[in-house]
Amino acid sequence: MSVKMDQGALIRRIAEIIISELRLEEVTVATFDPELDLVDELGIDSMDLATIALVLQDEYNITIDEDDYPKLRNVRLIAEYIISKK
Amino acid sequence: MNTVSSLLDKEWYERYKRISRLNIRSSIYDVTNQCNLRCRGCFFFSSDEHKAAPEEMDIRKWEAFVDSEKARGVNLAILIGGEPTLYLDRVAAFYKRLPTYCATNGLIKVPRDRFPDMMVGISLWGDEEDEKVLRGKDTFAISSKNYAGDLYTYYLYTITPKQVGRIESIIRRIADAGLKVHLQLLSNDEGVEGFSWTDELLRDIRDEMDIMLDRYPNTVISSKYYHEIITTGQMLGRSFGWNECPSVTEPMDRRKPQPKRLIRFIRWAADLHTMHRCCTSATRDCSICKDGAAHMSWVMVNKRAHLRSAKDLQGWIEVYEMFAKLYRFIPW
Repeated sequence: MSVKMDQGALIRRIAEIIISELRLEEVTVATFDPELDLVDELGIDSMDLATIALVLQDEYNITIDEDDYPKLRNVRLIAEYIISKK
Repeated sequence: MNTVSSLLDKEWYERYKRISRLNIRSSIYDVTNQCNLRCRGCFFFSSDEHKAAPEEMDIRKWEAFVDSEKARGVNLAILIGGEPTLYLDRVAAFYKRLPTYCATNGLIKVPRDRFPDMMVGISLWGDEEDEKVLRGKDTFAISSKNYAGDLYTYYLYTITPKQVGRIESIIRRIADAGLKVHLQLLSNDEGVEGFSWTDELLRDIRDEMDIMLDRYPNTVISSKYYHEIITTGQMLGRSFGWNECPSVTEPMDRRKPQPKRLIRFIRWAADLHTMHRCCTSATRDCSICKDGAAHMSWVMVNKRAHLRSAKDLQGWIEVYEMFAKLYRFIPW
């Protein structure tokens, strides 16, 4: 599987986690825009991000430093961040 | 799915973006167990919180403690007491290291050569008559002289039920002193007769607070949505109380399910080890708590719940802006 394919699957999984953890309605993995700004558009806050980070840390066996939260502006950037940690 | 930009026009969206990444992480510190006043209804003394722990007297331990708080991620130190200005070296330990807000009764002036831009909030419990009944003296007469025209000072006016219909004269005096005012309601922890709220009084004071905001927009730092929340105890159909309060000390918070809350929030006693349960008295009935900061924080931590409509989100923005102004994260 190519890195690009991995990233695509990763993006879908991250979207799935966000939808589930934040109980988002009227959006699906298929319709979730990976470029959507999580703070400026989705309105998530640091507690939301901490919740998501906990799930991602467990699932991908990585550590997400809280100082890195500002970098995690959208799903694509989160996917790139996870890949960089692997 | 509602997004922020789909709900707001350009002007509101810019206001949202100005505050959306502030990421305020506050904690509260009892600077001392002593006070130069003994006010009837003060939660600190009425619930014996001044006896919770002895004061740390070594200033080097205060300085090291603040360093550890900063390392813990705190970016706003809220100093309360007792009366913090009785121990200015302790206040300085915070001010030199962190954005700091100092609550005071205003009887001792914070020296501005030492604390040039520290935000100061002066407590005020009503007009001259109420102040004498509840606090033993008319503190406004002293504090307004100490701080007249100060750019980094505002009054935290705790409105009592006896003030309904009469708050304008106080707000005008504050405006005349060149100061700002934020409004909150007395919780009457000691059950002083005549100082408890009724539904009718709360409705009346909400209307009056709204009128004051319209009439004195450059003096009153508040929002109508905040007035609604603080007088009804309701937000988006939910009731304020223990299961909703965001201002519970994090290591002591074992609520299930966990509500949206202030991350890293701790209220520390003056020994720098003991923690209090929450931002106010642990003996208070949370269902009738009127703590203004707790209600503001309740709104602030529930941002996504306000993405229901433009009106809800605009209300959230106004409350967040109000908090950010009161703690100097954005200008007046």
